Amino acid sequence: MAWLVLPGLAVLVFSLAVPLGFSVYYSLTDWDGLGAYQRVGLDNYRSILTDDPVFWRSLRNVVALIAVTIFVQNPCAFVLAAFLSRLSSRASRLLRTIYFVPAVLSLVIVAKLWVDVYNPTFGILNKLLRAVGLDALAISWLSNPSTSLAAVIWIIVWQGFGWALLFYYAALMTVPRDLEEAARVDGASWLATYRHVIIPHLYPVISTVIVIDVISSMKQMELIYLTTAGGPGQLTQFLGVYLYQKAFVSGEYGYGNALSVLFVLLSAGLTFLVQRGMRVLSR
Amino acid sequence: MSQRKALTWALQVVLVGFAGMQLFPLAWVFIASLQRSGDLFGNDLLRLPTDPQWHNYTRAWTDGQIVRYGLNSLIVVTTSTVASTALSFCMGYALARMRWRWKRLVLGVLGLGMVVPIHATLLPNFIWYGYFGLIDTRLGLIIPYVAFTLSFNTLVYTGHFRNLPTALEEAALLDGASWPRILWSIVAPLATPATVTVAVMTFLSGWNEFIMANTYLASDELRTLPFSIIRFEGQYSSDYAAQFACMVIVALPALALYLFFSKHIMAGATAGAVKE
Repeated sequence: MAWLVLPGLAVLVFSLAVPLGFSVYYSLTDWDGLGAYQRVGLDNYRSILTDDPVFWRSLRNVVALIAVTIFVQNPCAFVLAAFLSRLSSRASRLLRTIYFVPAVLSLVIVAKLWVDVYNPTFGILNKLLRAVGLDALAISWLSNPSTSLAAVIWIIVWQGFGWALLFYYAALMTVPRDLEEAARVDGASWLATYRHVIIPHLYPVISTVIVIDVISSMKQMELIYLTTAGGPGQLTQFLGVYLYQKAFVSGEYGYGNALSVLFVLLSAGLTFLVQRGMRVLSR
Repeated sequence: MSQRKALTWALQVVLVGFAGMQLFPLAWVFIASLQRSGDLFGNDLLRLPTDPQWHNYTRAWTDGQIVRYGLNSLIVVTTSTVASTALSFCMGYALARMRWRWKRLVLGVLGLGMVVPIHATLLPNFIWYGYFGLIDTRLGLIIPYVAFTLSFNTLVYTGHFRNLPTALEEAALLDGASWPRILWSIVAPLATPATVTVAVMTFLSGWNEFIMANTYLASDELRTLPFSIIRFEGQYSSDYAAQFACMVIVALPALALYLFFSKHIMAGATAGAVKE
């Protein structure tokens, strides 16, 4: 039956494994994409890790995004999913369908949509703020250094909210009814039932969702590229955007490939670590 | 009792409030798409257009090159959806059924597809595809669209096949049916729910995809639908109303697909993460 696997495997090797090998090879050179190049050993990696504040800024931004996702978006999604699970199935279905709408739109639409919402002159956000007398807050959200990162993170959290909600809702649906009823019969309050019965029952799912959150935060690129492109002054830079600009704007193929390799290693390493960590925690 | 009532009421307010938060920006875009560009700069918050400017959509349609880009999207995305579904069907079946020495290696490569960010492959693939003349061709977009959906799709199929009994296949095998025949006339019909999920998810992700198209395509003749919106950044950047109309046009097919297949999409989205 090996032939069943071979075509798919060939595509994966051609588009994933080989390019990774390419990346490793070119990351050891100073190629600018055009003519001849020289092997420079680990120089690219050395300058990224020791002499590239933008790289470290990108990592810090990813950490901020992960934190907001896990500590703000996820709890909101969980609470809402719990509410939904008590509604009639028709109402819950309608609401779930609505919450997930941003998740099925192209990132190009989502990005342009929010660029317009945030627009300092005609954006609806500032119009709303002015309407309630908060004129001082009506600023240029995406280009103001003190708000740009938060504005970008908000777009990502908004777009991903439906995903988080869907995961938790599906998980809550798997909790056996009698488990909950037994706790209620024992006189446990609503809150206590969740804290001591339902949430512990869902630990495996919660940890999976957190792993997914970490991976998808690492992989954010289009929404930033199409809104701030990492600006102002690299403040909203993320790894995917940064390596794209290094590669295709400045033509630094050697350096860009080194960033790509680090990107893969970080994603894989972080996934592994979080998976391990969650397993230890949920024991 | 009244406390309970208040709680229920608060609960409903929160639920509807979040729904509003998710829909409000979209509603604003739709309303703005029916106004004159100048209306946008007025002080009104949300003025329902009394005199809807449908011709914004005509301009969006022509200036956004909807027909050309839409056809390109249709060709690329349909092809890659069929290919990805077929390949992941085979892989998923083989992985669910076979005991094979190289299984771990195959699983490793599939895992790579889940972990490796697409963006880390853009530069090396740009170089690598160049050797084969795949840059700026439809095939050069179809191949990565298949590659980056295979892992997830295979996971969906494997999960589905694990819950299917093997008796039918074994009986057919004993009767001397060939493998392609068993797969096509016995396994495939049983896998229909998974196939719908996989096909719809793959189609949607290709339909919405931007960054690979932006990297591997150079000529305007081949560009896909998301570029309709990008076009309004340059040449027609002051035509806000048409730009908003264009966003609505591009969003509609994806929204329709979603509403029609929402059950399958939601099942697919949680596949693998939540075990029933």
